[in-house]
This record gives sequence, C-alpha cells and structure tokens, in this order.
Amino acid sequence: MKCAQADTFIHAYVDGELAGVDRDSYEQHLLECDACSHACRLQGRFKAAVRGHLSRPPLPPHLKRRIEEALALAPAIRRRFIWHSYPRLVPAAAAAVVLVAVLGAARSHRAPLVLEQALRTYHAAMPMDVVDSNCSSIANWFRGKVDFAVPCPRNARAIQGARLVNVQDRFGAYLVYQVPSGHRVTLMVFMPEDETLDGGRRRVVGDRDVYFGSGRGASTAAYRDRDGLVHVVTSDVDEDTLGHLVEAALYEQRN
Amino acid sequence: MMPFRRPPSKTDFEREVMPHLPALYGVALRMTKNEGDAEDLVQETVMRAYRFFDSFEAGTNCKAWLFRILTNLFCNRYREREREQEILDQVESSEANLGQFVGGPPRDAESALLGRMLSRDVERALTAVPTEFRLAVILADLEDFSYIEIAEIMECPAGTVMSRLYRGRKILQRLLHDYAVEQGILKEDAAAKEGKAPDAPVDLASYRKKKISEA
Repeated sequence: MKCAQADTFIHAYVDGELAGVDRDSYEQHLLECDACSHACRLQGRFKAAVRGHLSRPPLPPHLKRRIEEALALAPAIRRRFIWHSYPRLVPAAAAAVVLVAVLGAARSHRAPLVLEQALRTYHAAMPMDVVDSNCSSIANWFRGKVDFAVPCPRNARAIQGARLVNVQDRFGAYLVYQVPSGHRVTLMVFMPEDETLDGGRRRVVGDRDVYFGSGRGASTAAYRDRDGLVHVVTSDVDEDTLGHLVEAALYEQRN
Repeated sequence: MMPFRRPPSKTDFEREVMPHLPALYGVALRMTKNEGDAEDLVQETVMRAYRFFDSFEAGTNCKAWLFRILTNLFCNRYREREREQEILDQVESSEANLGQFVGGPPRDAESALLGRMLSRDVERALTAVPTEFRLAVILADLEDFSYIEIAEIMECPAGTVMSRLYRGRKILQRLLHDYAVEQGILKEDAAAKEGKAPDAPVDLASYRKKKISEA
C-alpha cells in the first residue's frame, strides 16, 4: 500500500469502519510508515478531542413536559396498514399479486369459449346440413336461417359443405373446406352478442387483430371482419399456416 | 426481528422513543443553532414518529429511525432559513469560502492545535461547517452512528457519507487552526501568511481580493 491510498483509509480506520484485507493492509502500512502512522494517531486524537469538547446539551425539562403533554392528548396509535406491522406479509402479498398477474395473463391467453367451441366442433366432424362445392349455393342455403349474409370466400375452391351451428345462443354458419395440402379447414361465422373479442394470443394480420388458440392438435384463429361478423378459422395446421389462410381470406374480402 | 403482534401502545412508544430525546435535542440544537427551533424540531420529530409508529419494526434501530425523521424535517423546514441567514451574515462559513479550508491545517500545526483547542472554539467551528458536512460529523463523532446508519439517515450512499465526513473534519480542523492563529495561540505558518499554499486559510475578503487580482 502506498501513502496516497493509506491517506484515504484514515477516517474509515479511525471510525472502526475498515475491515478485512483493507484493514490488514492499512495496519501493515502503518507499521512501515511513520508519517501515516502519525497522521492516523492525530486523526484519532482529533476525533476524541472534538467529542470531549462537545458535550451533549441537557434536555430542557420544559421540552420533555411539552412532549409528554402532547402525547397525552394524542389519539391512540392506530394500525393503518397491516403490512407495516407484519412485514413478512409484504413479500407474501407481493407474491400473491404476481400470482394473480400470472394467472390473469394465463387466463387472457386461454382460448375464449368461442375458440374452444370451434376446436370442439372441428374434432367432432359432425355431418353437414348441406353438401356442395359451390360457395354461392351454400351462401344461399343460409338465407333465412341466419340474420346476416354468409360470406363465401372465392378462393375456397375446395368447399365441401356447411351446417348450421349455435354460437352464443344464436345461429351461425359453419363452413367446411379442403385445402390443396389436404388439410381440413373450417370457418365458423356468426354475429357476436357483444363487441368484445379477445383472449388467446393476439397477432395483427393484415389490418386486423387476430386471436389465436390451439388444442388437441388443431389451431384456431378468430377475427372480426369489417361488417362486425366474427370469423373463426380452425385447422390441423400450425399457427403460422393458419395465419396465412386468414391473411388470404382478409385480402379476398378487401378486394 | 419480530414485529409487534398487536397495535403498538403509547407505552411501547414511550419506552422506545423517550430515551433518545437528549440525543435528538443535542443534534437539533447543533443543526438549527437556535434553542427555540431545536425544541420545535424535536417535538415535531417525536409527534411524527408517534403518528407513524405502526410502521416502526420493534427491535430495529429506533434511534436511527428517529434521526431520519428529524433530518427530513430539518431539511424541509429549517434548511432554507439557515441558508438565508448564512447569506445575510456573509460569514466566513459560506460554502464557497470554506472550500479553501478543505485541505485542513498544516500537518505540523495539527499536534500543537490538539493541545490548545477550546470548547467554545470547537462549538463555534462546528456551527460554521456547512450543513451536510456538519450533520455527518455530528452523527459519526457525537452520536456514534455507523456509516451505513448515517447513509440511511441522510438518504445518501455510504460513499457520500465518507466524503462528507472527510470534508467536514478537514473544514473543522482548518477553522480551529484559524481561530487558534487569530487568538495568538498558534503561530501563523509561513506558507499560509504568503498565501502560496493551495489550502491556505483565508477570510472571505482576502479570498475575493486574491481572485480579483488574479483576474
């Protein structure tokens, strides 16, 4: 240790705040350096001298009385926040908040009921009410059965048929396609009972918020079209492929 | 540390807090430099501690907790007034001038100074040390708080506490040396008389003259 470094340790040493290797090194330096040893002794003496000269002024008796009188008039101590007196509750409460947040996030990522219904219906593969490879014919079949015009994507060359489904206590259209890759793709269309459409993993596809869910080997995606109808597309393909299908449908609807 | 399992009572409060009244008053007096202000500051500290006593963890450092309250109150209430007074008085203790004293007294004068310090001069010198440095010195040297405790009380890093202590003590030593020279107790060292040493003690007028001549 050099004198310059030792000089920075004087106050911490005198105050008893120097420990470990630093203290050992400093004390070793004091043994080897008369100047630093002298400076350290002086600093210690100065601290003691200041303390000796500055006696604590006596507490005025009237101040003590004033405080006691003020305390006597003060209301009883109230526990305003339980975590002040039970500090262990703070981490527990924090953990609970985190848990709720995580569960909340998990819940928001859970497929909402409509996505679950789409997946269930997809796997059930119920018989179709109408079997037709012509989109216009299928759209016509739904007239009078649902209170909206059933969209029929033109690129769905491989439409196989459709059936009437009950969604949110209303009738909806359920269209079944066979895409060129051989996968079965279904499209459920309905007029939602409210404006909310969330849950699942949200992605923006085209100009739409699309909510994705998956389960039992199939993926499903839901979005609202410009007429307010909810489209739920389901297939046994991965989410990206399903996203491409949604994008193609949206593109076709815009044009 | 086990917290209170029931709402703390006035008895709990008095048992924890009242023994620290003399220490609170001693520091308050040296910070406010005025008996009336010191009494008000202590009373306000105690009443605030009472209001928030439910947040105090029994068994932890009550003295440090009280001094933190006192320091906060002092900074909020009395600091500005103290600064105004310092400016009005144009005393040598203004921080700009005290910066010249940070080097401390000449080494060879320190030993002589130690044997000739007068209590009234130590009190006067401490009063002239700027607030942050004075508080650090008082808490460390008179109240025996550790650096960590002082850091919590003053709400600053421990490194800042060390630097404030270092500067505070150097200023104090330099002022004491200056007083001793003024009173003829110590001989003025040659370097200081010539104004060549970078840490030479100067009064405000001399310092200004020197700066003007240098400009």
